[in-house]
Amino acid sequence: MFQAIVSASTLRDALDSVSVLVDECKIRLNEDELAIRAVDPANVGMVDLTLDAAAFESYEADGGVIGVNLSRLEDIAGMANTGDLVHLELDEETRKLHIQIEGLSYTLALIDPDSIRQEPDIPDLDLPATIVVEGTHLDRGIKAADMVSDHIGLRVDEADETFHIEAEGDTDDVDLELGRDDLIDLSAGPADSLFSLDYLKDMNKAIPSDAEVTVELGEEFPVKLHYEFGEGMGHVTYMLAPRIQSD
Amino acid sequence: MEFAAFTDRAASIEAEAADLEIVALLAEMFQMAGPDLPVVARFVQGRVFPAWQSATLDVGPRLCYDAISRAAGPNVTADDVERKLAETGEIGTVAASYEFGGQQGLAAFGSGETTELTVAEVDETLRSLAAAAGSGSQDRKVDTLFGLFNRCSPEEARYLARIVLSEMRIGVGEGAVRDAIAEAFEVPTENVERALQVSNDYGRVAGIARDEGVGGLDATGLEVGRPVQAMLAQAGTVTDALDEWDDAAVETKYDGARVQIHRKVDGDAEPASQSTDISVYSRNMEDVTDALPEIVDFVAESVDVPAILDGEVVAVDDAGDPLPFQEVLRRFRRKHDVARMREEVTLRLHAFDCLHADGDDLLEEPLATRHDRLSAVVDDEAAVSTLLRSADPDEIAVFEADALEAGHEGIMLKDPDSTYSPGNRGKHWLKRKPDVETLDLVVTGAEWGEGRRAQFLGTFLLSARDENGTFETLGKVATGITDEELATLTERLEPEIVAQEGREVEIRPSTVFEVGYEEIQRSPTYSSGYALRFPRFLSVREDKAPESADTLSRVERLAERQ
Repeated sequence: MFQAIVSASTLRDALDSVSVLVDECKIRLNEDELAIRAVDPANVGMVDLTLDAAAFESYEADGGVIGVNLSRLEDIAGMANTGDLVHLELDEETRKLHIQIEGLSYTLALIDPDSIRQEPDIPDLDLPATIVVEGTHLDRGIKAADMVSDHIGLRVDEADETFHIEAEGDTDDVDLELGRDDLIDLSAGPADSLFSLDYLKDMNKAIPSDAEVTVELGEEFPVKLHYEFGEGMGHVTYMLAPRIQSD
Repeated sequence: MEFAAFTDRAASIEAEAADLEIVALLAEMFQMAGPDLPVVARFVQGRVFPAWQSATLDVGPRLCYDAISRAAGPNVTADDVERKLAETGEIGTVAASYEFGGQQGLAAFGSGETTELTVAEVDETLRSLAAAAGSGSQDRKVDTLFGLFNRCSPEEARYLARIVLSEMRIGVGEGAVRDAIAEAFEVPTENVERALQVSNDYGRVAGIARDEGVGGLDATGLEVGRPVQAMLAQAGTVTDALDEWDDAAVETKYDGARVQIHRKVDGDAEPASQSTDISVYSRNMEDVTDALPEIVDFVAESVDVPAILDGEVVAVDDAGDPLPFQEVLRRFRRKHDVARMREEVTLRLHAFDCLHADGDDLLEEPLATRHDRLSAVVDDEAAVSTLLRSADPDEIAVFEADALEAGHEGIMLKDPDSTYSPGNRGKHWLKRKPDVETLDLVVTGAEWGEGRRAQFLGTFLLSARDENGTFETLGKVATGITDEELATLTERLEPEIVAQEGREVEIRPSTVFEVGYEEIQRSPTYSSGYALRFPRFLSVREDKAPESADTLSRVERLAERQ
């Protein structure tokens, strides 16, 4: 069984962070949290999301799993104003999700969870560098990189204790240097990896500009991006595999 | 089977010129395909789905270029891919020219191992593309395809790109696959051919030939709900007919769209007319059920046993007189405004053959018997074609005059003893039209116009298929096209342009023109060895796919006969 009331903005933030990678996902309705884990069709980017029971106005669940079409659910959530509350209730008999927003009722047909791509195992990575940066800085670096290239380098200069967001185009180059003063925290280590902007741009879209983003980085290793939403009760971790640096 | 093993063999087949060798190589590949045999038998023809299924990958060239450019990176764009394609003229060559694999997968860093691509995995992934629909689905399709290309070696990428765009081009036609199935599993070609005709699924027939042998092939029957290819007619005269047969079965030739109607009967529905499990297919086996609600209603009312009917849907005016073919096409394949168009264009069914009735497959029965079963199954005489049996040329001439008088296209002459052979344009059915023959040819190229017509494609290069499915050019048509038609044609063909050089463009085979002409001449100018004299554009054959356009052998026959 599942019955919950949540603010529309918290629900939208949660859905947006997943829908940048997949169209359909499984939602685990655990007793103490709602959890989603999904990997994109090319197995390059992953999202791991939890939303604590405390993030809801009320939350009751007993560990079931449902499959949903995310764009459909986002459309429905989009019908609510920011302050509205969304009521969610699972009908176990019909396997449909009843959604109520300010007098609007919507019955959403669910997808068989077994028909959705299996959730990935999270690679257990011990990454040597950790950078904590404001979402707005990250956004600026990604936008600049996008002007010249379809790839982006993330690098830590251990000696200077700086974090670099850089991109090399066919003719033009971009480098955003962030020093200790610009960063919330930096634990320097050998870190230099190249990533596809296609993915990073999408992930960046979901990250609120006022969020603190914890970036964990290594050399030619996946990057982990962690941030919180819903007054600290929603947690998202993205993981993105690197591209091989050709030269 | 690993995908690399498949592409290795596809490459050897492509390099081979001799037909017998190609069949031998194919047979060998089928023998080693194991559980992937059905998929392999489709892949060699650039197919993911069997011919009878309406499903397509729904992947346009541009989406494929996007995926390739992303896998090729860094800083390769879809436009770069298109430019390369314009230079090389073939997507496989372009895909094979890149070094893929720059993007690593998460699995490489976790417990999961990166494995080689398999034929089964490629098939499953491509099928998931067809299933994807919705607002984000285009992006997801690019992601999915990118993921596949990213794991490809150059050789694998070459054939993956071709399968995705259904342009396999390794010199393997349907006949070669049929012969290879027979050779690989030591079964007679005729039995394979028959099973293919009734099932329309090379993958399935290959599996049956291997696992169940001749017995299994012969037990393969029609299935109500799974379309088969329509039997076709060639042009002929009353003299041709009466020379060959004792008497002829003569019918009106309707100027409409060919349909195959599959009537299932749900055992629980009482009366049977309450069951509406009815599908209507075009002659390309496309599902057109939703566009033709009154035909569905009619069949629900007047047929109450499981049946497969062959017939023609004709547009009629208020007096019930036939309207030109173009009127039917306003209804065919329509997805929107069906109800409104139903008000504007009235359709009527003329059923003329019955392939299955109440549990009995009738393909092997003579035409006369099939027509009797048809009359018994359809509870409305007006919808069943009138069949005149006659050996008297004068009587047939009167029948023909009446048909033309009533506004129909001409007459059909059929051998009353002939069986129904799906997909065959045999000499058992003859169509007699009073006017000269036309050809249905595929547009494979064009030229941008000049002056006032500079923004339109003006001159169209026409091709006919040879038996391997390769398109051979046959002439250019530029007359008979109005300015309005030029604009529509340009809009339609521009997205299909695969390469451009100066004003000349190459066009992906997608559109079929009906073309009139004065004469077919031998000519070294075009790759077919023939040229059309005074070709003129008549219409776009909306109901025909490039695969069912006229063949080179028909062109040859027409050339001989003139």
